[in-house]
Amino acid sequence: MKKLLAFVLTIGLGLLIIFALDANTTFDDFGFANLAERVSTRYITKGSNVDIIFGQTLEPESGPANIVTSIVVDYRSFDTLGEVTVLFISALGVALLLGSAGAQKRMELNFKPNFMLRVGSRALFGIIIMTGVYVTLHGHLTPGGGFPGGAMIASAMLLLYLADDEFRARIKGFKILESIAGSLYVIIGLLGLVVATYFLQNFLPNGTVGDLLSSGIVPIIYILIGLKVGSEISGMIDNFLTEEEAQ
Amino acid sequence: MIQYAAILLMMIGLYGLLTNRNVIKIVISLNVLEIGLNIFIISIGFVYDGIAPILTSVNNSSALLFVDPLPQALVLTAIVIGVGTTALGLAIVKSIYQKYKTLEIDEVEEI
Amino acid sequence: MMSAILLIAIPLLAAFLSILSKKIAPVLLLLVGAANIILLWFVPSGIVIIGDFEMPFGISLFLDSYARIALYLVNGLFFIVTILNVVEYKKLSSILLVALAALNGLLLTGDLFNLFVFLEVAGIAAYLISTTNKKPLATFNYLVIGTVGSILYLFGLMILYGMFGTLNMMDMIHEIQTASIAYSSLILPFFLMFMGLGIEAKLLPFNAWVKGILKHSNTLSGPMIASVYAAAISLMFGRLINNLFMFEGKLLLVVTVLLALGVVLGEAMAFSSKKAREILLFSSISQACITVLLFVNGIIIWAVYVVIANALSKLVLYLIINRATKETKSDDVNDLQGLFAKNIFVGIAFTVAALSVMGLPLFAGFVIKFNYLTQLAVAGQMAIVALILVASLVEGIYFVKLLIKLWYSGEKEINVKFDLPYKAVFAVVTLMIILFGLYSAPLDSLDNGIDTMQDEIGVIYNG
Repeated sequence: MKKLLAFVLTIGLGLLIIFALDANTTFDDFGFANLAERVSTRYITKGSNVDIIFGQTLEPESGPANIVTSIVVDYRSFDTLGEVTVLFISALGVALLLGSAGAQKRMELNFKPNFMLRVGSRALFGIIIMTGVYVTLHGHLTPGGGFPGGAMIASAMLLLYLADDEFRARIKGFKILESIAGSLYVIIGLLGLVVATYFLQNFLPNGTVGDLLSSGIVPIIYILIGLKVGSEISGMIDNFLTEEEAQ
Repeated sequence: MIQYAAILLMMIGLYGLLTNRNVIKIVISLNVLEIGLNIFIISIGFVYDGIAPILTSVNNSSALLFVDPLPQALVLTAIVIGVGTTALGLAIVKSIYQKYKTLEIDEVEEI
Repeated sequence: MMSAILLIAIPLLAAFLSILSKKIAPVLLLLVGAANIILLWFVPSGIVIIGDFEMPFGISLFLDSYARIALYLVNGLFFIVTILNVVEYKKLSSILLVALAALNGLLLTGDLFNLFVFLEVAGIAAYLISTTNKKPLATFNYLVIGTVGSILYLFGLMILYGMFGTLNMMDMIHEIQTASIAYSSLILPFFLMFMGLGIEAKLLPFNAWVKGILKHSNTLSGPMIASVYAAAISLMFGRLINNLFMFEGKLLLVVTVLLALGVVLGEAMAFSSKKAREILLFSSISQACITVLLFVNGIIIWAVYVVIANALSKLVLYLIINRATKETKSDDVNDLQGLFAKNIFVGIAFTVAALSVMGLPLFAGFVIKFNYLTQLAVAGQMAIVALILVASLVEGIYFVKLLIKLWYSGEKEINVKFDLPYKAVFAVVTLMIILFGLYSAPLDSLDNGIDTMQDEIGVIYNG
């Protein structure tokens, strides 16, 4: 009975939303988004009257060739600071809920990995870490950046945890890394306030659009985010897979 | 149309939230709801015949027709926030299990 | 150099640094809490641009007298609650620093997506603060309902983006007011955003989480969620209702009915309850609904006063009840009988706060209630006036019942001690409530014009 009611409610709600959106003339139809009316034109043209050419334009308003990166780390960098804080506080929360003051050891699971798995995973570990680092470093030129790169680094740690039931990473080191990376992000923002005029202002030169060494503080911030995300998620994995050492 | 599919996903997630009694299934339904919303947000920015908003050596001019980059940036943030909430939710699930030894809401005697 | 962004950046920096050393974290928490209040005194008003990109392409903060009052209230209350609890709840110091940054961000921001991000940060901090109640299922409930609320808000916001193409609050308001579109196309996004924020603001129909969280609260989670968070969310919600949401016709009717139902149900459940904390939390729910009703009807300044008075009163009420409940291990009113027979000073503080919430003369609550009821009557909303009068009557009855039980001893002897810091806080708040009730002239200079966002929009786009 309750399931039927919920079913009717959700179907009704879905149809209501679809009808309301169809009847809404101001809401752009799918595929006909008019970018000239939205703020996105400014992000694409980077505020200049001439076209931005890959590999040629010098010192544009915002350096990255990847326009989404320029939005995430340059135009709307404050949102990214908030997002980094969300992950930070989630990692803190997981440690608060699942951690304990005493010593911890790996959880006893039913699955016992064998020798080949343990050795093979160490070989894969290096490759995955390299991919993560590559994606992080090239965030301003290709899709990717700090968040996927950090997640890849964390997945390499997860591989080691799953393949070896005695493995524990050095959590102390991760905590220090996480704290320093986060503080550096805020400090770069405050430097923008002190050295230039605005918080999180890009005070380094932007270079040429498309070079690896370009876009001012954007690659630096992405590296910090990658390290932070990687260490936070690895810390979370460790919290989930350990338990209190029996007295 | 993909917007219909996104709204359908959201409704499936909502249905799962309303009817499930197992806490892990509730977390999964919450995830489905979030994914539906993310797909809807990305679909707002689509332009027919538009290309990905990245300047490369092939698509090297900003005068080409791009899709809207702003919803993509917003979804990046929304996905990460979803990950944070899911991780916290699962940690709470583990502490529910440690305290009550069950994962069904109906069996827990808490007011 | 002195810029409003420091109110958010400094607590955030302190939070990131505080996990390096467990000993320093509580010290940092108190230092930053005090520093924020002092900083607020020196920070200039106006629009603060972040990242050197002008509105609406970048994010900006907006500080006017409305935001300043809200910031003083939230920062001050936060500092008081943390001072009283920092010794016992040391492990939460980093989380409390992030919560401080997020609450400041909520009240300062001028960008709607930024509001979503800070709403999530503040929400997650609240879930973690509520884990100190040791009721994981209630926290899980709170997490699920809170996330659904944020999703609803983001859904509505994205529909607005699809329609108008901007995310900045002032730009969005300007576009909505100058574009000539049918009102019916705005109903869905406004309703979704209103419901999404209303979940956190304790409105119907999603306030199921309030019972689970505040019923088993302690001296940290109770005042923090019922007083500090409630004030911040109400004031942010009020800013949005006053400027962004335009309620007309059917939508206005639906919203008013929902809020009225919230008031009625809140008072009814408080009346029928036998547990002290339950009475307080249902009273919180109905007060939240009254506040939003006032904002919807445009009575800004009195709604702000209601929020301030409620935040102060609920701080005292929750601190007293939670402290007593910790000692006696039960919050059934019968078990707390005679609490004030031995603690006369604390009893007076509790009575003053309760009478103020009820709206008796000589206390702040009376002045405020009288004024906003008059304004509502002038605006022709007689049904709402009648409703609030009836609700106040019910409120009076159950508070008086509670007070009688707490003052006169029963058969059991109870022995609860309140330390000096608590008594100091109670003294200050009681004085403020009595003072405001007797002499409210200085506040007559503030009126509905403290929310200057519309004026600012006029200056930017027309002037």
